[in-house]
Amino acid sequence: MSSHAPDDSSKAESDRAAGREGQADAYGALGLIISGVLVWGGVGFLVAERLDNRLFVMLGLLLGMGAGLYLVWFRYGRQT
Amino acid sequence: MSSSVLAVEGEGFVSPSPGTFVYPPAFGEGTFVTKPMLIVILGSLAVAVFFFLAARRAAMVPGKTQFVGESLYGFVRNSIALEAIGKPGLKYVPYLATVFFFLATLNISGILPLVQFPATSKIAIPLVLAVISCVIFNVIGIKREGLGGYFKHMMFPSGIPWPVYILLAPIEFVSTIIIRPLTLTLRLTFNMFAGHLVLVLFILGGEYLVFEYGGVVGIAAGTVALLGSLVLTAFEGFVQLLQAYVFTLLSALYIGGALQDEH
Repeated sequence: MSSHAPDDSSKAESDRAAGREGQADAYGALGLIISGVLVWGGVGFLVAERLDNRLFVMLGLLLGMGAGLYLVWFRYGRQT
Repeated sequence: MSSSVLAVEGEGFVSPSPGTFVYPPAFGEGTFVTKPMLIVILGSLAVAVFFFLAARRAAMVPGKTQFVGESLYGFVRNSIALEAIGKPGLKYVPYLATVFFFLATLNISGILPLVQFPATSKIAIPLVLAVISCVIFNVIGIKREGLGGYFKHMMFPSGIPWPVYILLAPIEFVSTIIIRPLTLTLRLTFNMFAGHLVLVLFILGGEYLVFEYGGVVGIAAGTVALLGSLVLTAFEGFVQLLQAYVFTLLSALYIGGALQDEH
């Protein structure tokens, strides 16, 4: 977000801004993992109810966690 | 205090519970307004009146009230809006300042003598503000990129083979539309909830030990608990301001994210 930084900002200030952005990324990453588990765990639960096989809950939870972790890597972990 | 907590005589100490947060109507049976509602109304009025007085006779050489008001507003402008969003964030300072001072006041009501209940520990208040923040950043994003473009940008980041989108798009959607306001709400609510519980436990527990349990052990332990409650009250004040700041900062960062071009 450095392109929006105020012109008169010192270097220390832009560093602090980068730190805050990092904080938001941390919350964002947590949100992605939670969403992954919720969404695909939920789908797994519905399938399990339908087919009367609880294995699908676990499959859904694992799939969601994997997908969430992959998204975290894709969004935040690729550059540098 | 709720009657369930004060009813400690006879059957030993009743520890505070979620029931501590349920208040009967403040003006007797059949009325509608409760203590948390009164705190919200009076707190909003206090913030509004203060900033009205601070801005009423804006002068080049500020008076005392104007100086304090400008310093507080300047804090939100410089430390939250400018640092989290940058120059485009100046447009949103009025909203962010309102959220910050509303929340800070309602949080601090938790350690204000005689009031001593953080109204924000009632989930409805953080929830409404979080939903407003959520609507704002989504509307900004939709205005900037168009409805299709916004959701395409949110749910289908480029550089992923298309079958994977089936797996990832719902996660991105839920994470932005539901989890973001939900985490904003829960973080604030439960910080205030837990802090109030701890304070009630230390103060009423210390009081019980000193006055009901008695004896050398009771008085000694109760005194430690009551002294500890002073330290915890100061700590709670810090947490209350910090949580108001975190809520506002994250709202600003979400708005900044919606204003931003490609990641």
